[in-house]
Amino acid sequence: MTRFGDHLATGVLILLLLAAWEVAGQLKLVADGTLPPLSAILLRLAAEWREYWPHVAATLYTASLGFLIGNAVALAAAVSFCLWPVAERVFRGVNIAAFTVPPIALAPVLVIALDGETARITLAALLVYFPTMTAALAGLRSADPRAVDLIRAYGGGPLRTLWLLRLRAALPAILSGFQVAAPAAVLGAVLAEFGSGARWGLGTFLLGSLGRAEPDRLWGIGLTATAIAGLGYALSATLAARTTSLNRAVNIGITGPEPETANEAPLRRALLLAAAILMPLLIWQAMLFWADLSPIIAKTPMGVIDYLITGKTAASAQTRLLAALAETVPITIAGMLLGLGFAFALALLSFAAPLLMRALLPFALVTQTMPLVALTPLAVLILGRGITVTLVITISVTFFAAFVVLAQGFAMIPKAAFDLVDAYGASTLRKVRLIAIPASRQWLFVAARLALPKALLGVMIAEWLATGKGLGNLLNQSRGYLDYGMIWTVAVVSILLSVLLYQLTPVLEWVGRSDRRVR
Amino acid sequence: MQGLPLQFTNVSKAFSIKGKALPVIDNLSLDCPAGSFTALLGPSGCGKSTLLRLALALESEDSGSLRIGGDSPRSICRSGAVGVAFQDAALLPWRSVEENIRLPFEVLGRKRPDPEKINGLIELVGLKGFEKARPGELSGGMRQRVAIARSLATEPRVLLMDEPFGALDLILRRQMNLELQRIWSAKRPTTLLITHGIDEAVYLADRVIVLSPRPARVLADIPVSFSRPRGAELLRDPAFHHVCDRIAALLDPETSAASAAAETAALDAAPVAAPAKAGTTA
Ligand SMILES: Nc1ncnc2c1ncn2[C@@H]1O[C@H](COP(=O)(O)OP(=O)(O)OP(=O)(O)O)[C@@H](O)[C@H]1O
Ligand SMILES: [Mg+2]
Repeated sequence: MTRFGDHLATGVLILLLLAAWEVAGQLKLVADGTLPPLSAILLRLAAEWREYWPHVAATLYTASLGFLIGNAVALAAAVSFCLWPVAERVFRGVNIAAFTVPPIALAPVLVIALDGETARITLAALLVYFPTMTAALAGLRSADPRAVDLIRAYGGGPLRTLWLLRLRAALPAILSGFQVAAPAAVLGAVLAEFGSGARWGLGTFLLGSLGRAEPDRLWGIGLTATAIAGLGYALSATLAARTTSLNRAVNIGITGPEPETANEAPLRRALLLAAAILMPLLIWQAMLFWADLSPIIAKTPMGVIDYLITGKTAASAQTRLLAALAETVPITIAGMLLGLGFAFALALLSFAAPLLMRALLPFALVTQTMPLVALTPLAVLILGRGITVTLVITISVTFFAAFVVLAQGFAMIPKAAFDLVDAYGASTLRKVRLIAIPASRQWLFVAARLALPKALLGVMIAEWLATGKGLGNLLNQSRGYLDYGMIWTVAVVSILLSVLLYQLTPVLEWVGRSDRRVR
Repeated sequence: MQGLPLQFTNVSKAFSIKGKALPVIDNLSLDCPAGSFTALLGPSGCGKSTLLRLALALESEDSGSLRIGGDSPRSICRSGAVGVAFQDAALLPWRSVEENIRLPFEVLGRKRPDPEKINGLIELVGLKGFEKARPGELSGGMRQRVAIARSLATEPRVLLMDEPFGALDLILRRQMNLELQRIWSAKRPTTLLITHGIDEAVYLADRVIVLSPRPARVLADIPVSFSRPRGAELLRDPAFHHVCDRIAALLDPETSAASAAAETAALDAAPVAAPAKAGTTA
């Protein structure tokens, strides 16, 4: 089919899906009108445009600055980690913490420590950092080892290899990182506005509209946020598509081995692990020292230990925490497996039926930027307050990043690999089984790394806003009681829990490792 | 610019696969004098490419030593004196033919070569008109020719080539052989050519080294002394075929042991007269 035909078909499909929405809205098919018809949302939006625009401008400003700063830091970090693999291991704890810290728990603390605007930009940047860093690092390391050899054969060192080969080879991966980062920046900005008492911003606007039980207004704000994020996404996606086709290796590609850790001295390994664990604590302590805050609001690591283990609050705190964990942990694991499975299914769909996928993508994007805080009340109306709503919200937070990485992975599979099976007349299904799935394995691990810690965030948001259970609820209550000790404790425990989940990926990787040393 | 001597002395190398040691090169010594042309033949998987990677400091030897012009391979490679064409073309897919050929200069931090020279090389390998094409738009053989041009671009004093003509048709292969001979005769880089083509090896080289199956040892060292320049008529020379047949016998597992013993005996008896009593010797 021609390119034009492709676009046309995608457009028609999108229109069909929009029409279905309109009909469902008009007939109040979804939970008694919680899903208003599209026309009603847009009409309302048009009528209230004047009210929107200062909010839009504020969010756009915060999100773009957060996007720029977060990506700059992420790229610098990825390059350093590629050049000095030891640095990656020392900073592993920091990386995971930056990724897993629940933004809603962090926002109030940041607002106390920094001034409002800086706090919001910091949060947006924080959400941007991890997806770009991981994708860029994977990209830098995925450079064709034969080309690496060539450059080394001419005496090129790591810096030349980086400059002439790795950076360029990583471009598609970096851009796919941006694709995830763009919606994340908007989400970060909106969440920060939501939790920081800002005067302007879509988050503030949303907060003011929540009480009014007007689904069309909520959807209007959500769609506006989506449009902003969609713009960033589309830009990165366009650039990514251009570079990917050029980057496809001409021969069947071989990825370089990951830095060797198998036969490392146990002492060295233990030291690196200790450094990885201590590093976030060090930074935590240093930031508080620098911000110079009252120890009642700002708990240091020792403060948290005192609160949870040695102080007089310990007994009560432990009981509440354990009860919350017992509710949160099982559902988090279920949610993350479902989210990852869903992402893989979508990526396969986008490979087998690219047209359908391109039509669905804008709708998938909505779930990313339609702020969860706005989505959750709607989800509750549709799904009730049971386990389903938690799972659905968890899937919706986890799948997107994983999906983008996997789809990119499928797109990077060299042509020669498919030519080979095409020559034997393989069906699409067989191509998926023989080539796409095995070849995307390394990307599956990147995807899992992105998805796993996010699962906890999804569960906590759902618990906070919908089910009133577990860790999320505990955090919400503590905010109400100004129980700063518990706020910090929950943040720390949720990070530790995510680190634990994150450590599951190397185990998976080890299990799936059979064909690594090909040259 | 003279070639640099290349010396492997008692080199051994083993890889470990799943914890088990796989000896690939076993106490191998090989001395390529400055400006010589050596062809390396051996069964697939015997360790030829590994030998080349050792000479490029891409792998390190377990024991023994490796010297290029009396220096370590690493420092010689850094100086830009070595040109290499790998078994895979290893082109950067986002660079055009021109830009790929120019790559070594950028790696070495030299200033851009003048475009005339690059064009000359492109013409030499028969890719005129494809200067701006990307590797994805070339055939397998064309990509290999880009790699050959790239290996020659820096006017190396040591030229290491790993089956550079593997993907070319017979006619083109002959043509490339001629070009390589011409370049070698003019600049006299010390050349080590890995190939599976026995006739190609004999046609081009001063000396053919036959390696044993893995782990690689030198099975036979056969001097080839046909006069140069060698033309197409050499291919019809019975003496030429005689040398080729001897090498084929060495490579065939059925006859290999006996032939190797005979070679050694012949070498011991009359080290100079042994090679094909070739009528064409100058
Ligand atoms: N990086 C590596 N790790 C483990 N084993 C390796 C590695 N590189 C090569 N080998 C092994 O070393 C042996 C020799 O490989 P090499 O590539 O040198 O063979 P070759 O003589 O060039 O073969 P061919 O003619 O087929 O190119 C092979 O058995 C291969 O399995
Ligand atoms: Mg080889």
